Amino acid sequence: MITFPTTRFGSLQVREEQIIHFPNGLFGFPDLKRYILLDHKDTEIKWLQAVDDADVAFIVINPFLINPSYQFDIPDAGKELIGLEDINDLAVLVIVRVENNTLLANFHGPIILNSATRLGAQLVVESPSVYAYNIETSSLQK
Amino acid sequence: MLVLTRKSGESIRIGDDIIIRVVEIKGNQVRLGIEASKQLRIYREELYEKISKENRLSAMAGLDTFGRLKEVFRKP
Repeated sequence: MITFPTTRFGSLQVREEQIIHFPNGLFGFPDLKRYILLDHKDTEIKWLQAVDDADVAFIVINPFLINPSYQFDIPDAGKELIGLEDINDLAVLVIVRVENNTLLANFHGPIILNSATRLGAQLVVESPSVYAYNIETSSLQK
Repeated sequence: MLVLTRKSGESIRIGDDIIIRVVEIKGNQVRLGIEASKQLRIYREELYEKISKENRLSAMAGLDTFGRLKEVFRKP
C-alpha cells in the first residue's frame, strides 16, 4: 500500500496496482507520471489525481458520453507507449472543466489507458476543437 | 537560436536520426517534411501549448465543480 496526501481528498491509501503510470506525464505536467483514478458509483465523472502532487487533480469523463461521434486514430507510438495489444483493454477519457455554465471538454488531448498494463498517455488530436457543452441545456456546442 | 537558410528541397539534419526537409514554399507558408523515429513526438507548437494550457486550467478544478457535474452526468 502507498499513502500520499491530496488537497481535495485528504490522505489517500491505495494499492500499488491501482496506480496508473504515464511514461510521458500529461501536457504541462511532464514530471507527474503517477495517477490514480477515483471512481464514483453514482456518476460518470471521475477524478484523475496525481500521486506526486497533492494539488493536481483533473475531472475526467468518457468522451463518448458527451459526443457519441467523437473519434480519433491512435498512432503506433501511442499504442507502444501504453503497451496496447488488445483493444478491449483500452479506455478513453477526456479532461473537462467548467467556465460559467459551460463544460469544456478537451477533445484535442484525449487520455488513453491500458487496463492490462496500467499505462496511460495523453494524445494530441488535430481535428476536433475543445468542445463546449452547455450544462443547463445538455447540448453540445462547437 | 540557430538560424539556417534553406531552399525548397533542401534539408537540415539534427543528430543522426532526424531530417527536416523544406518540401514546398508558397507565399508565407512553408511545408516541412520530417523524418524521425516513430517514438519521437512531433506536434504543431500552438496545439502543444493549447493542450498544456487547458490541462493547467483544468488541474485547478475544485470539489464544487465536481459536485455540479456529478448531477449532470449521473449514472442511469
